Amino acid sequence: MSLGKEFTKGIFSENPLFRLTLGLCPSLAITTSVNNGIGMGVAFTGVLLASNIAISAMRKIIPDSIRIPSYIVIIATFVSMVEMLMHAYTPELFTSLGVFIPLIVVNCIILGRAEAFANKNGILPSIMDALGMGIGYTLALVVISAFREVLGAGTFMGYAVFSGSAPSALIMILPPGGFITLGCILAFLNKMQNVKVAKKAKLNQSIAQQQLSSN
Amino acid sequence: MRNNSLKLGLFLLIIAGIAGLGIAYVNEITNPLIEQQLITNKLNSFQEVYVGAEKITDESEKYLDGDADSILTEVNVVYEKNTPAGVIYTVEPSGYNGKIQLLAGFDIATKQITAIKVLNLSETPGLGDNAKQSFFTERFKGKSAEKNLEIVKKEPVEGNQVLAITSATITSKAVANGVNAARQHFMDNFIK
Amino acid sequence: MQEMMIIIIGAILINNIVLSQFLGCCPFLGVSKKLSSAIGMGVAVTFVLTIASLITWLVQKFILVNLGIEYLQTIAFILVIASLVQFVEMVIRKKSPDLYKALGVYLPLITTNCAVLGVAIINIQKSYTFMQTLANSLGNALGFTLALILFAGIRERLEEADIPKSLQGMPIALITAALMSIAFLGFTGLL
Repeated sequence: MSLGKEFTKGIFSENPLFRLTLGLCPSLAITTSVNNGIGMGVAFTGVLLASNIAISAMRKIIPDSIRIPSYIVIIATFVSMVEMLMHAYTPELFTSLGVFIPLIVVNCIILGRAEAFANKNGILPSIMDALGMGIGYTLALVVISAFREVLGAGTFMGYAVFSGSAPSALIMILPPGGFITLGCILAFLNKMQNVKVAKKAKLNQSIAQQQLSSN
Repeated sequence: MRNNSLKLGLFLLIIAGIAGLGIAYVNEITNPLIEQQLITNKLNSFQEVYVGAEKITDESEKYLDGDADSILTEVNVVYEKNTPAGVIYTVEPSGYNGKIQLLAGFDIATKQITAIKVLNLSETPGLGDNAKQSFFTERFKGKSAEKNLEIVKKEPVEGNQVLAITSATITSKAVANGVNAARQHFMDNFIK
Repeated sequence: MQEMMIIIIGAILINNIVLSQFLGCCPFLGVSKKLSSAIGMGVAVTFVLTIASLITWLVQKFILVNLGIEYLQTIAFILVIASLVQFVEMVIRKKSPDLYKALGVYLPLITTNCAVLGVAIINIQKSYTFMQTLANSLGNALGFTLALILFAGIRERLEEADIPKSLQGMPIALITAALMSIAFLGFTGLL
């Protein structure tokens, strides 16, 4: 597989959130505003990138039988670092993401990428994989939080979207809104997938018919 | 076998050791920044609740007798020309979802609330969360410290009444409780 | 005592760990297709979460704070949880094979359940005492179990229902969770 493909697969065909439905907790909890979504995505990408590089670099020296505990220690280290850096440089984001920053440790995507990719591949592909997955996850968070912020608070990245006092659907930034938004987005993606499959089937059918008639 | 598990244990120990060192290093760098931030934030917030305060001293030890149950956590006295001019309280009343941390400033000469500011809260987004917005905290500004403040759901008629945040009465009451505790302490200790 | 009851009831109904704090969503959506497995997961999580919270509380209070290394919190907690899960698994396997058969498959999943680490960290953030930590963790664990079992009950019925193709699976599960979450919002005025 080429490096470009390692990169794009995380964004589209294997998007961790929309396609593999991994890492659900933060995607529901902190997506009440686009700023939070971007912040979480960037923090997540940073940790994933660092842990993928470290694990890929050490893949030959980590004994197989204790690889999972080693991965957890490595991931937890980077999470602690990111946590402290965010506390120092982006204190507002740090407060609004709260407990979900340390919880990046138990985000199944990171351990999953370590186990499924970084320990089998070299550093360069692992970097591409981490960037692709990270950006894919960030985009997914931004999409969810954009829906929730615009509908629930009537703003986008803090700026008012609607003129005047258009009433906002408060429920969208309350907990149920997270479930509703993600559910609808997944349903929409399924629909698109179904339409695509149906089109392809139709195309195949018509090709087959043409072949039949030409015979 | 025994030798092997010893080796594995040692390996994990080394990784954990390196990890610990790495984290300690980042902590070294970020900790001063975080501390600095806490101090500037505190000073800025003090300025917000008591505009023009120049000399502020923490006199918590003098005024709070180590009572752990008290919701008052800090008493800072504002001095003007070496006489106390105002008091800034840090209070932590219990809200709907855990503690709310807020500052309440009082002016000794006018016996009025100068301003309040909510520092930390984890109330419901969109509802109780609004307590930190200025539209709500403004409602406390200039209230007399002599009477207990009361949260009301309709447009206030009395001077000691404060309009609640729509659909967040519990949070509003919690804020008022905090301000009242500070108010009581202020009247007992600073107004003779 | 009254305060502990308030914490427990608050954690179960008002601030339900899954439906309003979004901790432990992965097992909530993953292991809720059958009622029996939901009960197994619930019991396993209740057990591990409560013990882990108490141990991490002790670790924080007597090791991290004493040595002035609070910044190692995340890494220390996750290691405590991971080893605890391993330990519990070993003990159960030796002492009670029946229980192991029932809970065994759920135990490894718990290490990466963010509910366990999340509650442990929240207990520290809210500076709870030891007893309050016990109440809060037990309440949260019971809240998780309650939500999981209710949800599994609904999903078993959904299996029979005629659902549009695009909504099948995850989307309808999420929307069902949303409705449950709205229902739990109704407990808001309880305390």
